[in-house]
Amino acid sequence: MLERSGIPEQAQIDCVFPAEERLEKGPVAVIECFEKIPCNPCAQSCPKSAILPFVDINDRPVIDDELCVGCNACIKKCPGLAIMVVEYSGEKALIKLPHEFKPLPEKGQIVNALNRAGEPVSDAEVVRVIAGKVSVVSIAVDRHLIKTVRGFSFKEKPEIPEKNMGNLELNNTNELDGIVCRCNDLTLGDIRKMISDGYTTIDELKQLARVGMGPCQGRSCIPIILGELSRYLETPIKDLLPTNFRPVVTSVKLSDLAEHDEERTSV
Amino acid sequence: MDFKRGEEIVFTFDGKPVSAFEGETVAVALYAANVRKLATSHDKHRARGIYCAIGNCASCMMIVDGTPNVKTCVEPVRAGMVVESQPDKGKLT
Repeated sequence: MLERSGIPEQAQIDCVFPAEERLEKGPVAVIECFEKIPCNPCAQSCPKSAILPFVDINDRPVIDDELCVGCNACIKKCPGLAIMVVEYSGEKALIKLPHEFKPLPEKGQIVNALNRAGEPVSDAEVVRVIAGKVSVVSIAVDRHLIKTVRGFSFKEKPEIPEKNMGNLELNNTNELDGIVCRCNDLTLGDIRKMISDGYTTIDELKQLARVGMGPCQGRSCIPIILGELSRYLETPIKDLLPTNFRPVVTSVKLSDLAEHDEERTSV
Repeated sequence: MDFKRGEEIVFTFDGKPVSAFEGETVAVALYAANVRKLATSHDKHRARGIYCAIGNCASCMMIVDGTPNVKTCVEPVRAGMVVESQPDKGKLT
Protein backbone atom coordinates (compact mmCIF):
# COMPACT_ATOMS: atom_id res chain seq x y z
CA MET A 1 0.00 0.00 0.00
CA LEU A 2 1.32 3.39 -1.02
CA GLU A 3 0.77 5.03 2.38
CA ARG A 4 2.84 2.39 4.14
CA SER A 5 5.45 1.34 1.60
CA GLY A 6 5.81 4.44 -0.56
CA ILE A 7 5.38 2.20 -3.60
CA PRO A 8 2.31 2.83 -5.78
CA GLU A 9 0.17 -0.15 -6.75
CA GLN A 10 -0.18 -1.24 -10.36
CA ALA A 11 -3.74 0.12 -10.53
CA GLN A 12 -2.52 3.57 -9.46
CA ILE A 13 0.25 3.51 -12.04
CA ASP A 14 -2.22 2.46 -14.76
CA CYS A 15 -4.42 5.41 -13.79
CA VAL A 16 -1.72 8.00 -14.44
CA PHE A 17 -0.15 6.35 -17.49
CA PRO A 18 -1.27 7.50 -20.95
CA ALA A 19 -2.99 5.03 -23.28
CA GLU A 20 -0.82 2.77 -25.42
CA GLU A 21 -1.87 4.66 -28.61
CA ARG A 22 -0.63 7.91 -27.08
CA LEU A 23 2.69 6.32 -26.11
CA GLU A 24 3.18 5.29 -29.76
CA LYS A 25 2.83 8.91 -30.88
CA GLY A 26 5.78 10.38 -29.00
CA PRO A 27 7.11 11.54 -25.66
CA VAL A 28 4.62 12.25 -22.90
CA ALA A 29 4.87 13.13 -19.22
CA VAL A 30 3.68 10.74 -16.52
CA ILE A 31 2.86 12.34 -13.17
CA GLU A 32 2.90 9.97 -10.25
CA CYS A 33 1.46 12.38 -7.71
CA PHE A 34 -0.94 10.29 -5.66
CA GLU A 35 -1.48 12.42 -2.58
CA LYS A 36 -3.40 15.67 -2.28
CA ILE A 37 -0.81 18.19 -1.14
CA PRO A 38 -0.64 21.99 -1.46
CA CYS A 39 1.81 22.12 -4.39
CA ASN A 40 1.42 23.37 -7.96
CA PRO A 41 4.75 24.14 -9.72
CA CYS A 42 4.03 21.48 -12.36
CA ALA A 43 0.89 23.19 -13.62
CA GLN A 44 2.64 26.55 -13.70
CA SER A 45 5.72 25.22 -15.48
CA CYS A 46 3.95 23.66 -18.46
CA PRO A 47 4.50 25.81 -21.59
CA LYS A 48 1.63 24.00 -23.39
CA SER A 49 -0.85 24.24 -20.48
CA ALA A 50 -1.13 20.48 -20.75
CA ILE A 51 -1.23 20.19 -16.97
CA LEU A 52 -4.65 21.63 -16.30
CA PRO A 53 -4.83 24.72 -14.08
CA PHE A 54 -5.51 23.94 -10.41
CA VAL A 55 -8.82 25.10 -8.96
CA ASP A 56 -7.46 24.43 -5.48
CA ILE A 57 -3.79 24.28 -4.57
CA ASN A 58 -4.42 20.84 -3.05
CA ASP A 59 -5.57 19.41 -6.39
CA ARG A 60 -3.70 16.51 -7.88
CA PRO A 61 -2.30 17.33 -11.33
CA VAL A 62 -4.37 16.27 -14.33
CA ILE A 63 -2.53 16.11 -17.62
CA ASP A 64 -4.04 16.36 -21.09
CA ASP A 65 -1.96 13.78 -22.97
CA GLU A 66 -2.89 15.30 -26.33
CA LEU A 67 -1.46 18.70 -25.39
CA CYS A 68 1.70 17.31 -23.72
CA VAL A 69 4.77 17.28 -25.96
CA GLY A 70 7.11 15.64 -23.44
CA CYS A 71 9.35 18.71 -23.16
CA ASN A 72 10.76 17.83 -19.67
CA ALA A 73 9.88 21.26 -18.17
CA CYS A 74 7.70 19.81 -15.42
CA ILE A 75 10.22 17.07 -14.54
CA LYS A 76 12.65 19.70 -13.30
CA LYS A 77 10.02 21.66 -11.37
CA CYS A 78 8.39 18.90 -9.31
CA PRO A 79 9.90 19.10 -5.80
CA GLY A 80 8.85 15.49 -5.19
CA LEU A 81 10.57 14.16 -8.35
CA ALA A 82 7.21 12.58 -9.17
CA ILE A 83 7.27 13.28 -12.91
CA MET A 84 9.01 11.41 -15.71
CA VAL A 85 8.67 11.48 -19.49
CA VAL A 86 8.34 8.23 -21.43
CA GLU A 87 8.39 7.38 -25.12
CA TYR A 88 8.88 4.41 -27.39
CA SER A 89 11.93 4.48 -29.61
CA GLY A 90 12.14 1.48 -31.94
CA GLU A 91 12.51 -1.66 -29.88
CA LYS A 92 13.29 0.35 -26.78
CA ALA A 93 11.43 2.53 -24.35
CA LEU A 94 13.10 5.78 -23.31
CA ILE A 95 12.53 6.81 -19.71
CA LYS A 96 13.54 10.34 -18.76
CA LEU A 97 14.05 10.52 -15.02
CA PRO A 98 14.64 13.41 -12.64
CA HIS A 99 17.95 12.90 -10.84
CA GLU A 100 19.41 14.88 -7.96
CA PHE A 101 22.51 12.91 -7.04
CA LYS A 102 26.09 13.41 -8.06
CA PRO A 103 28.12 12.33 -9.92
CA LEU A 104 25.89 12.12 -12.99
CA PRO A 105 26.17 9.09 -15.26
CA GLU A 106 27.86 9.44 -18.66
CA LYS A 107 26.14 9.07 -21.99
CA GLY A 108 26.49 5.48 -23.18
CA GLN A 109 27.08 4.10 -19.67
CA ILE A 110 25.26 0.88 -18.77
CA VAL A 111 23.36 1.19 -15.48
CA ASN A 112 20.86 -0.92 -13.53
CA ALA A 113 17.25 -0.02 -14.30
CA LEU A 114 15.25 -0.09 -11.06
CA ASN A 115 11.58 -0.67 -10.47
CA ARG A 116 9.47 1.39 -8.07
CA ALA A 117 10.66 -0.70 -5.12
CA GLY A 118 14.26 0.15 -6.04
CA GLU A 119 15.05 -3.40 -7.23
CA PRO A 120 17.14 -3.89 -10.38
CA VAL A 121 15.03 -5.33 -13.21
CA SER A 122 17.35 -5.05 -16.22
CA ASP A 123 20.31 -3.24 -17.71
CA ALA A 124 19.74 0.17 -19.24
CA GLU A 125 21.82 2.42 -21.46
CA VAL A 126 22.10 6.10 -20.59
CA VAL A 127 21.20 7.89 -23.81
CA ARG A 128 21.15 11.50 -22.67
CA VAL A 129 22.03 13.54 -19.60
CA ILE A 130 20.75 17.08 -19.16
CA ALA A 131 22.60 18.50 -16.16
CA GLY A 132 20.89 20.97 -13.87
CA LYS A 133 19.71 21.46 -10.34
CA VAL A 134 17.38 18.61 -11.14
CA SER A 135 19.15 16.73 -13.91
CA VAL A 136 17.18 14.72 -16.43
CA VAL A 137 18.70 11.34 -17.24
CA SER A 138 17.27 9.40 -20.19
CA ILE A 139 17.71 5.65 -20.07
CA ALA A 140 16.75 3.07 -22.69
CA VAL A 141 15.14 -0.19 -21.59
CA ASP A 142 13.14 -2.91 -23.34
CA ARG A 143 9.68 -1.75 -24.44
CA HIS A 144 7.77 -4.00 -22.07
CA LEU A 145 9.44 -2.34 -19.08
CA ILE A 146 7.95 1.09 -19.78
CA LYS A 147 5.59 0.87 -16.82
CA THR A 148 8.09 -0.90 -14.57
CA VAL A 149 11.26 1.19 -14.58
CA ARG A 150 11.30 4.28 -12.36
CA GLY A 151 14.97 4.75 -11.49
CA PHE A 152 18.52 3.62 -12.06
CA SER A 153 21.64 2.86 -10.08
CA PHE A 154 25.30 2.63 -10.99
CA LYS A 155 26.81 -0.79 -11.67
CA GLU A 156 29.82 0.15 -9.59
CA LYS A 157 30.15 2.70 -6.84
CA PRO A 158 31.29 5.91 -8.56
CA GLU A 159 34.57 7.44 -7.50
CA ILE A 160 34.27 10.64 -5.53
CA PRO A 161 37.28 12.89 -6.02
CA GLU A 162 39.13 13.76 -2.84
CA LYS A 163 39.19 17.37 -1.81
CA ASN A 164 41.66 19.11 0.41
CA MET A 165 40.58 20.80 3.61
CA GLY A 166 41.05 24.28 2.20
CA ASN A 167 40.72 27.00 4.76
CA LEU A 168 38.44 25.12 7.11
CA GLU A 169 39.54 24.69 10.66
CA LEU A 170 38.04 21.73 12.42
CA ASN A 171 39.76 22.13 15.78
CA ASN A 172 38.70 25.43 17.27
CA THR A 173 36.03 23.93 19.51
CA ASN A 174 34.48 27.09 20.95
CA GLU A 175 33.73 28.48 17.54
CA LEU A 176 32.62 25.14 16.16
CA ASP A 177 29.92 24.76 18.81
CA GLY A 178 28.23 27.88 17.49
CA ILE A 179 24.82 27.24 16.04
CA VAL A 180 24.36 27.77 12.29
CA CYS A 181 21.10 26.04 11.43
CA ARG A 182 18.65 26.67 14.25
CA CYS A 183 15.83 24.68 12.69
CA ASN A 184 17.73 21.43 12.25
CA ASP A 185 20.22 21.96 15.08
CA LEU A 186 23.49 22.05 13.17
CA THR A 187 26.63 23.69 14.52
CA LEU A 188 29.42 25.33 12.55
CA GLY A 189 31.41 22.14 13.18
CA ASP A 190 28.66 20.02 11.61
CA ILE A 191 28.52 22.27 8.56
CA ARG A 192 32.31 22.32 8.11
CA LYS A 193 32.47 18.54 8.48
CA MET A 194 29.91 18.11 5.70
CA ILE A 195 31.66 20.61 3.44
CA SER A 196 35.01 18.89 3.95
CA ASP A 197 33.30 15.55 3.21
CA GLY A 198 32.64 16.91 -0.27
CA TYR A 199 29.15 18.37 -0.01
CA THR A 200 30.03 21.72 -1.49
CA THR A 201 26.74 23.17 -2.75
CA ILE A 202 23.72 24.48 -0.88
CA ASP A 203 21.56 21.94 -2.70
CA GLU A 204 23.68 19.00 -1.53
CA LEU A 205 23.70 20.23 2.06
CA LYS A 206 19.95 20.65 1.83
CA GLN A 207 19.46 17.07 0.74
CA LEU A 208 21.91 15.76 3.30
CA ALA A 209 21.01 17.73 6.39
CA ARG A 210 17.85 19.68 5.54
CA VAL A 211 19.55 23.07 5.92
CA GLY A 212 17.18 25.77 4.77
CA MET A 213 14.17 23.46 4.97
CA GLY A 214 12.99 24.20 8.51
CA PRO A 215 10.63 26.89 9.75
CA CYS A 216 13.09 29.68 8.90
CA GLN A 217 13.42 28.47 5.29
CA GLY A 218 17.09 29.36 5.19
CA ARG A 219 16.88 32.93 6.40
CA SER A 220 19.11 32.24 9.40
CA CYS A 221 21.50 29.64 8.02
CA ILE A 222 21.96 30.08 4.26
CA PRO A 223 24.00 33.34 4.50
CA ILE A 224 26.38 31.74 7.03
CA ILE A 225 26.73 28.55 5.01
CA LEU A 226 27.38 30.55 1.83
CA GLY A 227 30.20 32.30 3.69
CA GLU A 228 31.69 28.95 4.72
CA LEU A 229 31.41 27.55 1.19
CA SER A 230 32.94 30.69 -0.24
CA ARG A 231 35.95 30.43 2.07
CA TYR A 232 36.39 26.73 1.41
CA LEU A 233 36.02 26.89 -2.37
CA GLU A 234 37.69 30.29 -2.67
CA THR A 235 34.78 31.38 -4.84
CA PRO A 236 32.77 34.59 -4.48
CA ILE A 237 29.38 34.15 -2.83
CA LYS A 238 27.59 35.50 -5.90
CA ASP A 239 28.73 32.39 -7.79
CA LEU A 240 27.47 30.07 -5.06
CA LEU A 241 23.92 31.29 -4.63
CA PRO A 242 21.40 28.47 -4.35
CA THR A 243 19.31 27.78 -7.43
CA ASN A 244 16.13 28.33 -5.43
CA PHE A 245 15.90 30.65 -2.47
CA ARG A 246 12.31 31.60 -1.87
CA PRO A 247 11.59 31.75 1.84
CA VAL A 248 7.90 31.91 2.61
CA VAL A 249 6.59 35.26 3.82
CA THR A 250 4.87 33.67 6.76
CA SER A 251 4.15 30.18 8.00
CA VAL A 252 0.79 28.71 7.08
CA LYS A 253 -0.78 25.84 8.97
CA LEU A 254 -1.45 22.80 6.78
CA SER A 255 -4.83 22.54 8.51
CA ASP A 256 -5.80 25.95 7.09
CA LEU A 257 -5.05 24.75 3.57
CA ALA A 258 -6.81 21.43 4.12
CA GLU A 259 -9.87 23.16 5.56
CA HIS A 260 -10.20 25.24 2.43
CA ASP A 261 -10.19 22.08 0.35
CA GLU A 262 -12.89 20.37 2.44
CA GLU A 263 -15.19 23.32 1.94
CA ARG A 264 -14.90 23.01 -1.79
CA THR A 265 -15.38 19.25 -2.02
CA SER A 266 -18.30 19.12 0.40
CA VAL A 267 -20.41 21.46 -1.75
CA MET B 1 10.29 57.89 22.44
CA ASP B 2 7.09 57.32 24.26
CA PHE B 3 5.92 53.75 24.74
CA LYS B 4 2.35 53.30 25.89
CA ARG B 5 1.85 50.10 27.84
CA GLY B 6 -1.44 48.26 27.64
CA GLU B 7 -3.35 46.94 30.61
CA GLU B 8 -1.64 44.53 32.95
CA ILE B 9 -2.77 40.94 32.39
CA VAL B 10 -1.80 37.50 33.69
CA PHE B 11 -0.99 34.35 31.72
CA THR B 12 0.58 31.08 32.80
CA PHE B 13 3.99 29.74 31.84
CA ASP B 14 4.62 26.10 32.73
CA GLY B 15 1.91 26.32 35.38
CA LYS B 16 3.18 29.52 37.02
CA PRO B 17 1.39 32.85 36.68
CA VAL B 18 3.31 35.55 34.80
CA SER B 19 2.17 39.15 34.51
CA ALA B 20 2.47 41.01 31.23
CA PHE B 21 1.14 44.07 29.44
CA GLU B 22 -1.30 43.92 26.59
CA GLY B 23 0.39 44.56 23.28
CA GLU B 24 3.51 42.62 24.21
CA THR B 25 4.43 39.35 22.58
CA VAL B 26 4.71 36.16 24.61
CA ALA B 27 8.49 36.02 24.22
CA VAL B 28 8.91 39.62 25.36
CA ALA B 29 6.67 39.08 28.39
CA LEU B 30 8.71 36.03 29.36
CA TYR B 31 11.96 37.91 28.84
CA ALA B 32 10.70 40.66 31.13
CA ALA B 33 9.84 37.96 33.69
CA ASN B 34 13.47 36.78 33.51
CA VAL B 35 12.75 33.65 31.51
CA ARG B 36 15.68 33.24 29.10
CA LYS B 37 15.21 29.67 27.90
CA LEU B 38 12.20 29.43 25.61
CA ALA B 39 12.85 26.25 23.65
CA THR B 40 15.20 23.27 23.47
CA SER B 41 17.08 22.25 20.33
CA HIS B 42 15.95 18.92 18.89
CA ASP B 43 19.15 16.97 18.52
CA LYS B 44 21.69 18.45 20.88
CA HIS B 45 19.11 19.48 23.50
CA ARG B 46 20.63 22.89 24.08
CA ALA B 47 18.76 25.91 25.40
CA ARG B 48 17.28 28.36 22.90
CA GLY B 49 16.27 31.92 23.65
CA ILE B 50 15.09 34.92 21.67
CA TYR B 51 17.14 35.20 18.49
CA CYS B 52 15.57 37.03 15.55
CA ALA B 53 12.50 38.31 17.42
CA ILE B 54 10.62 38.88 14.14
CA GLY B 55 9.20 35.43 13.45
CA ASN B 56 11.92 34.28 11.05
CA CYS B 57 13.98 31.75 12.94
CA ALA B 58 12.86 28.71 14.88
CA SER B 59 14.29 29.61 18.25
CA CYS B 60 11.25 30.60 20.29
CA MET B 61 8.71 27.94 19.44
CA MET B 62 6.52 26.99 22.38
CA ILE B 63 3.19 25.34 23.09
CA VAL B 64 0.50 28.02 23.33
CA ASP B 65 -2.99 26.98 24.41
CA GLY B 66 -2.15 23.41 23.37
CA THR B 67 -0.81 24.30 19.90
CA PRO B 68 2.86 23.39 19.43
CA ASN B 69 5.40 25.30 17.30
CA VAL B 70 3.94 28.73 17.96
CA LYS B 71 6.47 31.48 17.27
CA THR B 72 6.16 33.25 20.59
CA CYS B 73 8.19 36.28 19.48
CA VAL B 74 5.34 37.33 17.21
CA GLU B 75 2.42 35.90 19.19
CA PRO B 76 0.58 38.62 21.16
CA VAL B 77 0.07 37.79 24.80
CA ARG B 78 -3.52 37.47 26.04
CA ALA B 79 -5.01 37.21 29.52
CA GLY B 80 -5.36 33.61 30.63
CA MET B 81 -3.14 32.24 27.86
CA VAL B 82 -1.47 28.91 28.71
CA VAL B 83 2.16 28.82 27.56
CA GLU B 84 4.31 25.73 27.96
CA SER B 85 7.93 24.89 27.11
CA GLN B 86 8.23 22.59 24.14
CA PRO B 87 10.85 19.89 24.73
CA ASP B 88 10.68 18.34 21.24
CA LYS B 89 9.55 19.03 17.68
CA GLY B 90 5.95 19.25 18.88
CA LYS B 91 3.19 16.68 18.83
CA LEU B 92 -0.24 16.92 17.26
CA THR B 93 -2.97 16.43 19.79
